[in-house]
Amino acid sequence: MGEKSDVWQGTLALMVLRTLETLGPLHGYGLARRIEQTSGDLLQLNYGTLYPSLLKLEQEGFIRSRWGVSENNRRAKFYELTKAGQRQLKKAAAEWEQTTGILARFLTPAQEG
Amino acid sequence: MFHSPRNEGDFAAELESHVAMHTEDGIRAGLAPAEARRQALIRLGGVEQTRQAVRERRGLPWLESLLQDIRFGLRMLYKNPAYTTFAVLTLALGIGANSAVFTVAEAALLRSWPAREPERLVKLISTTPQGRSDNFSYPDYLDLSEQSKSLEGILAYSRRGKLLRIGTESQMVLDDVVSPNYFSVIGLDAELGRRFLAESRSGSAPGVVVSESLWRRVFNADPSLVGKQITLTGHSYTVLGIAPPRFHGLQRGIPTDLWIPITAEYHERIPTTTEYHEGDEIAARDFRDFELLGRLRTGAIEAEAQAELDTIGRRLARAYPAVDTARGIAFLSESARLREAAVPTLLLMTAVGLVLLICCGNVAGLVLAHSDARQKEVAMRLALGAKSLRVARQLLTESLLLALLGASLGLLLAAGLLRLQPALLPPEQVALGLDLHLDGSVIAFTAAIAVAAVLVFGLAPAIQISRMNFASALKGEELGAGRGLRRWTMRNALVVGEIALSMVLVTASWFVMSSLLFSRALPLGFDNRRHLIFFDLNPGIAGYDSKRSAIFFQHVEEKVAALQGVRHAALAQRVLLSDSGGGARQRVAIPGVELPQGQPSVSIMYNEVDGSYFQTVGTRLLKGREFTAADNSSSGRVAIVSRTMAERFWPGEEALGRQFLVEGQACQIVGVVEDAKINNVHESPEPYIYFLFAQAPRQYGTLIVDAEGDTRPIVARTLSEIQREDRNVPLDVRTLDYLMQQAFWADQIAAGSVGTLGLLGIFLGAVGLYGVIAYVVNRRSREIGIRIALGAERRNILRLVLGQGLTLAAIGTGIGLIASLMVARLMSSMLYGVTPTDPVAFAGSAALVILVALAASWIPARRAASIDPMQALRTE
Repeated sequence: MGEKSDVWQGTLALMVLRTLETLGPLHGYGLARRIEQTSGDLLQLNYGTLYPSLLKLEQEGFIRSRWGVSENNRRAKFYELTKAGQRQLKKAAAEWEQTTGILARFLTPAQEG
Repeated sequence: MFHSPRNEGDFAAELESHVAMHTEDGIRAGLAPAEARRQALIRLGGVEQTRQAVRERRGLPWLESLLQDIRFGLRMLYKNPAYTTFAVLTLALGIGANSAVFTVAEAALLRSWPAREPERLVKLISTTPQGRSDNFSYPDYLDLSEQSKSLEGILAYSRRGKLLRIGTESQMVLDDVVSPNYFSVIGLDAELGRRFLAESRSGSAPGVVVSESLWRRVFNADPSLVGKQITLTGHSYTVLGIAPPRFHGLQRGIPTDLWIPITAEYHERIPTTTEYHEGDEIAARDFRDFELLGRLRTGAIEAEAQAELDTIGRRLARAYPAVDTARGIAFLSESARLREAAVPTLLLMTAVGLVLLICCGNVAGLVLAHSDARQKEVAMRLALGAKSLRVARQLLTESLLLALLGASLGLLLAAGLLRLQPALLPPEQVALGLDLHLDGSVIAFTAAIAVAAVLVFGLAPAIQISRMNFASALKGEELGAGRGLRRWTMRNALVVGEIALSMVLVTASWFVMSSLLFSRALPLGFDNRRHLIFFDLNPGIAGYDSKRSAIFFQHVEEKVAALQGVRHAALAQRVLLSDSGGGARQRVAIPGVELPQGQPSVSIMYNEVDGSYFQTVGTRLLKGREFTAADNSSSGRVAIVSRTMAERFWPGEEALGRQFLVEGQACQIVGVVEDAKINNVHESPEPYIYFLFAQAPRQYGTLIVDAEGDTRPIVARTLSEIQREDRNVPLDVRTLDYLMQQAFWADQIAAGSVGTLGLLGIFLGAVGLYGVIAYVVNRRSREIGIRIALGAERRNILRLVLGQGLTLAAIGTGIGLIASLMVARLMSSMLYGVTPTDPVAFAGSAALVILVALAASWIPARRAASIDPMQALRTE
């Protein structure tokens, strides 16, 4: 396994939203682990930075939180996607695809020539 | 439930559970518990750092957008200087001037007794058969205090004046002669109350309580003053204490400097007092010189207290038929006093409220116009993705900034106006003053209303935004035709309302002013155009007996009459229109005349004057003769009476030559003069007797000088003449001018406050109208340009715009006229010589309002007429 990459600026929020969309409500720790797993353990999160991002998303109204009980019977705070969050996810994902699409055109070797 | 508040404790718990879950996973993977926890903490990047990051994030959005809003708001205000200036000035005038006027009125009319639990204090009034209210004599007071059960204490006070000697100088101070329980009943300073009561009853050296302001002013706040001796009008008193700081006595507007117990004033006096008859006057049932204030027992019922007073009143009337027949005792409770003050207060509050309404209307109009102009900008921001809540908050912040600016400037203005306090106060040589301080609640109230107006109207565009049609707004079109019309109607309604309110204010001012003018023009019975100077002289204090005093007065009068620039000089006992003027009465028996209620004698106000008095002050002699040199101390007693006296007692007959009895001596009437005002300008004429100065020897008196032209050199020359005679005789100088000012003070305050509010009202109304018309012209500049291009004459454009302004003004004036009729009826009890239906007042006020409206519309109309069609068409 090579160098683990840091999370790029601004992409963490998108990953959080996407993860919550596919898996439903998750607590902070579970969310972090899930993101690492999804990246095929290529990403290593600094868990400390996750929480300010969660707060920001919550302030923006894209996610909401409530206290619940984890699979190991531990009290934990669960995050959940809101309607606005779903819309934001669609928008951000489209933008991201567009950006990566453009970048891809620059980076893929020319077919002809 | 979903959480919204993310507090510190909540986050700590979340972090804790995070670390615990991570640690468990580590243990499951085979790590030792301690190691697993260490790993978990490392991956977290430190608990404290994480907490800090979250904490920062938490406060951020609110602060960020607030700062942004404020910065943007300030920039908007700065970029629209005309709008900002008008709105801020309107708010400042409304808040500032209103608070100041209200503060003065509150101090003069509304403020309660300066006492502990003032609501339990009642003012006692001796009612006369003529329905006039009167004060009490000291024996009446003693009977009342003894017999009343529903009042737990009654205090008596009487206003006097004394000369306070400091080193070699003397100055006039105002003292209250009070009952020993005065301070206990008031109850502001329990310790002082007890001491005053004890010491004034003990009857040792006469004592005095000094006001805090006199203590500062004259004694330089000397802490050792208590216990020392001070000299008042030649007598020595011990200072018993200093009154509480804000206590200025019970008389509104005229602060007391000293309080002297009745016991000290009357029992401890030195031989000369017999000449003043003061030993007698305190025991006399008809020397009604004391005002009484009672404290109701807790839980006492007002009706029962009144019933008890009625009983005592009847008992007194039976026991002392000569003086108390047909008199009763009534009391004025604090709530009743407030009700009595209600008419002027209501009037003033209405005026203040009207100005405030106009002010709000103006600001509302301004804000509406301004927000119209901003539709395009707001639409742009929304189109660019701003949330409408965010835009609304931005508009609100802007309004709040405006309101804050206006309110702070208003406060400065109010404080500045009150700094002018001395100009508002009655002229007096002693330190006078209503206790004026800006009342926090008044300011808060005024400011709150004005600010609320700004906020409500500032929000209007925000509300509209939600229904806004971006496309048309961006193109700079009006909102949908229907809505635009509604909007336009609303501004018109505001202006019509403002003009109606101004109309009411102007009419009220008109009435108050004409009432003042009427009072000013009332015949006074003396010539108020003369330059009269009054020198109050008191040789008694310099040790003169009455014989030497008589010689002193004669010498001074002769010398002063011979001075250059002096037309006449005269001697009199009392001064016209002065506080001390009419208090003195003499019991008179009139043989052959039936007196009311079959009483043996009647008490009549009097003065003692010499032969040149009537000539000097300009009171016309109607019949008979003035006093001559042949009338003197050794000839038979003579008197001159007022016309009312002659008509009251000898109706249809000749009063000349008649006799009446004074102190058992016969006195012959040698002349009849016109009625003169004695105490104040509004009193109705009463019987009045002028005795001969030389036949009533006193150790004090007033030299009256009628000066040619400027009074100042005459005052100086007369003073040096008096001092050449004897420089130890204390004296006091007043001019007629000063006395007149004093007499008109109350009327002037009323006229001043209502007039100021009237001016303010019409000014703000004009600004409002100007704003609307200017706005319309601005909006229609293109249309007007086209009209001009198509050949419309500029004269017609002018007429068109003026017509619009005048239509609004006419509707407003019409509504205002109806409202004024009602307000005038309310005011009628405050007015002298003015009928509240006077058509001239209404027509005049309406004309004034229309004229001002015309002027306000003229400026934008001129601009409309001078629009360059090319310019106007090119703007879009």
